Amino acid sequence: MNGTRMFQSAPAVLVASVALCLPVLAPDFMLFEFSIAVSYGIAILGLNLLLGFSGQICLAQGALFGIGAYTTAIFNVNFGMDPIVTLPFAAIVTSLIGVLIGLPALRLQGLQLAIVTFGVASAFPQLLLKMDSITGGVTGLAIDQPMAPRWFPGSQELWLYGLSLICAAASVFMLSRLLRGDTGRLLRALRDNPLVAESLGVNLTKGRLAAFAASSALAGLGGGLFCILNGFISPQSFLPMKSIDILIGGIVGGITSMAGAFIGAVFIVFVPGWTTAINPALGGLIYGLCLIAMMMVARQGIAGLPIGRGLQALKHLFNKKGLSRVSGAVPGQLGGE
Amino acid sequence: MNILTVRDLSAGYGATDVLHKVNFTVEQGTIVALLGANGAGKTTILRALSGLLPSRGVVEFGGTDLRQCSPARRVELGLAHIPQGRGTFGDFSVEENLAAGAFTIRDKKQIAEDMERWYSVFPRLAERRRQQAGSLSGGEQQMLALARALMSRPKLLMCDEPSLGLAPAITEQIFEIFKSLNDEHGMTLLIVEQNADLTLQFAHTAYVMEAGDITVSGLASELLSNEAVQQSYLGV
Repeated sequence: MNGTRMFQSAPAVLVASVALCLPVLAPDFMLFEFSIAVSYGIAILGLNLLLGFSGQICLAQGALFGIGAYTTAIFNVNFGMDPIVTLPFAAIVTSLIGVLIGLPALRLQGLQLAIVTFGVASAFPQLLLKMDSITGGVTGLAIDQPMAPRWFPGSQELWLYGLSLICAAASVFMLSRLLRGDTGRLLRALRDNPLVAESLGVNLTKGRLAAFAASSALAGLGGGLFCILNGFISPQSFLPMKSIDILIGGIVGGITSMAGAFIGAVFIVFVPGWTTAINPALGGLIYGLCLIAMMMVARQGIAGLPIGRGLQALKHLFNKKGLSRVSGAVPGQLGGE
Repeated sequence: MNILTVRDLSAGYGATDVLHKVNFTVEQGTIVALLGANGAGKTTILRALSGLLPSRGVVEFGGTDLRQCSPARRVELGLAHIPQGRGTFGDFSVEENLAAGAFTIRDKKQIAEDMERWYSVFPRLAERRRQQAGSLSGGEQQMLALARALMSRPKLLMCDEPSLGLAPAITEQIFEIFKSLNDEHGMTLLIVEQNADLTLQFAHTAYVMEAGDITVSGLASELLSNEAVQQSYLGV
């Protein structure tokens, strides 16, 4: 579970290749759903950083996602800003609000923090209704979706999917830079033993708030993207359950794996639909059993499954360093690292 | 010259005070032992000194009043604290643990140099630099905790029960390292211990704690030969 190299691992290569092949494999309507999954995946990346790397829980990630979405919508509807241009603002505004939510985290940890943040998630949809002069209340807000330019050969869905992938790549790039080296080590030290970290000179306050700020910025970016993809948002999209879904996505995918964030996002977007397709009356039951089964067989999340280790062995076969080692080694030892 | 002066230090957990106006000093370049039974308040003193626990009273370190200083600032000023139970990060590699000791150091070159320097002092850590710290033996983890504390270039090294959970031979090795740090690098050490006999052999001066207060102080050699002290305070 060495965080600094996590995106160079086999699941990452697999997720990236699947993501790039999808436009050929999937029909347009599925591309749309995958784009939505990518937007959740970016929010889950934030939760990875916060929960997986700094050990703080936040059950308001869905609300922060919503704040990003509304920032994009409000900037577009009220100021006529191009939705794509609003994305950095969605990240910044959400990050500031995330720091406010993170303030109690300086005194509360664990279960108490879970309840406080879930309180925010529960209040959020009602707040949106109350502030209807800017949020549009129940009717929500419709934005001008960015259209594919004339020179673009593919469909509108493909265009938006490309935009999603660019946002995801930018997020992964920034997060892996952040986690590599001192910042990542500092966050993990805070997670593993805050008292010792403090005695080594880590500023607890700054560290915890910085993690909240970065995590919320990613939630905001994901939310902004979600708004662009959907073209329309209302409080209905950001019910308290959304925060739980994002947490489930994070844990099912693998809470310290960037590839896992996107695997988990695909899980929360598609699996509930599939289980309902199996039996419309028992969809929730089957989904629940799925979740239970997931935690029995894949405690470290899907990205931590042995299949990942198998792929890692394959990767060793293909890189030079691996080759020299393989020449004299027993095949069974390949996956041993 | 005293590197550390503590006057009327009181501290505790919640509403109850564990320390009751403790007074003591640590002279620069010496090894000072802080002895006493379980629950006497030894660990509480170290936590109060490193700022992990709020306290009242005066703590002067190298001429600076520490009362307004955050734990991080105290590390920067040269105060290092090796916690009880070592507190190495089990999921980190040996090297990452050492790097974690240099959170307050900005100069990358200095960090790299210091790392090599302590690897040469602790060759066993050098052999295991890529290994997870959690896989090290107790003695190796204590060495790692020590080397990690040294990465911040401390002026005063405080160590909480280094002997805890270690075999006697390993404990003696650790104390030999303390002694050579003191001899060769002029390091000042404040060592909290229950193992009085061994600690007094290495320390210059010693304080004995009882129920949140210092009741006996003196040269280590004197305490070692003072039978009354041995019987009543050190349980030998």
